[in-house]
Amino acid sequence: MAKGQGKYKGLICAAIFIVLEIAALSMLSRTSSLQSHWLKRIAYRPLSVLWRGAESVRSYFSLKGQNERLAEENFALNEKLRAAAVAAQAPQSGLNARMNYIPATIVKMSRDSQHNYIILDKGSDDGVLPLSGIISDKGVVGIVDVVDRNYSYGLTLMNDAVQVSSRIGRDGIVAPLVWDGIHSDRAVVNCVPLHYEAAPSDTVYTSGFSSVFPSDIPLGTVVGTSVSHGAIGQVKVRLFQDFSTLRFVTIVSSGDRQVIEELSAHGEGAKK
Amino acid sequence: MRNLQFWLVYLILLVAQTIICAAFNFSQLVSFWFLPMMILCTPIRFNTNSLLVLAFVSGVLVDLLSQGVLGLTSAALLPVALCRNLVVRLVFGSEVFSRGEDISLRRQGLLKMSIAVALVTALFLILFIAADGAGTRPFWFNAVRFLLSLVVDTFFSLLLVGIINPGEGQKWR
Repeated sequence: MAKGQGKYKGLICAAIFIVLEIAALSMLSRTSSLQSHWLKRIAYRPLSVLWRGAESVRSYFSLKGQNERLAEENFALNEKLRAAAVAAQAPQSGLNARMNYIPATIVKMSRDSQHNYIILDKGSDDGVLPLSGIISDKGVVGIVDVVDRNYSYGLTLMNDAVQVSSRIGRDGIVAPLVWDGIHSDRAVVNCVPLHYEAAPSDTVYTSGFSSVFPSDIPLGTVVGTSVSHGAIGQVKVRLFQDFSTLRFVTIVSSGDRQVIEELSAHGEGAKK
Repeated sequence: MRNLQFWLVYLILLVAQTIICAAFNFSQLVSFWFLPMMILCTPIRFNTNSLLVLAFVSGVLVDLLSQGVLGLTSAALLPVALCRNLVVRLVFGSEVFSRGEDISLRRQGLLKMSIAVALVTALFLILFIAADGAGTRPFWFNAVRFLLSLVVDTFFSLLLVGIINPGEGQKWR
């Protein structure tokens, strides 16, 4: 009981001291500008540490929002870039102009098997169609396989069932690009004629010879060549997109895909 | 009666301190203060809360009447009032509180009194010199001012202890 009273008295004493000291310091601060500046300097030092700490915590918790805002901004900028590129290429091709782009966030993505997949937070309600391409600002990510109302399931480029029609350099040969099966940022361009010499550091682009991806999306750079089975040339590519750091993507689909597929099917039928 | 005498002497010394602050600026390196000793010698039965109020009022009066920087003396004197009981317990022992005796040179002796006065004066001077300089004076100046003031103030405070609290009458109550 006495101990509790002592603590109570101590608290009152401390409170009186603090109140009187604040009163004295505020009088001091009002009377002399020199002392006022000195007191402010002393007071702001711990306050600045507190403010900095609070700002760090606030920044940390607002990172998610900032990331989403940046992703949206990035998407808008990419849209403008694509529009500008299409406008520049308008005389040669009108295909990219009819591409639809939908921003999406990765819900789940596997990276540790030979058949990796990706699940996105956009589905048929958002206009996503099966066999749409999945790209990022750094290249091709994969292809949408199955579409739900709110989600899409796709195969990533890190899946041996996925191949992308690619072109080595702006005017090089066109050949399928597939994942090398080992690294998260490596791929190989298969079926390259042996006489073709790819220069190291050449950029590999999408060819645009499919209705899935628009043309001229940079995929990666050539890092070397090899010969497979003694007859088929291979070009090793270091992808711009590292799959281990991926979070936001864009789903891309061609508005003319149905027409192209119908024409293709008609052409195949005529051959038979 | 003893109380009345104490407060009368306290008031006279407060006026004396005010006059010294207002009219006698011996040197920039020496500040003449015996207010901390006056707070130290306040009767032991005075609790810390009352002592804090007394220190605050005394400081404000001295600043106000000597036309000094208002709040400077109070700001430096309040920690002295807060630590008074701690200093007494540390230097004179807890028995002073249990016996309820007042602090005096005769009862406590010159050595202990010197230590106690030097401690409270040092605490006061550190805060006063720091706040008075407001970071504009070099460290060596403040250090010299502190050391010289401490020696002079402790000496004069010890001379005045006998006046504020003569310690006459019975040694033990």
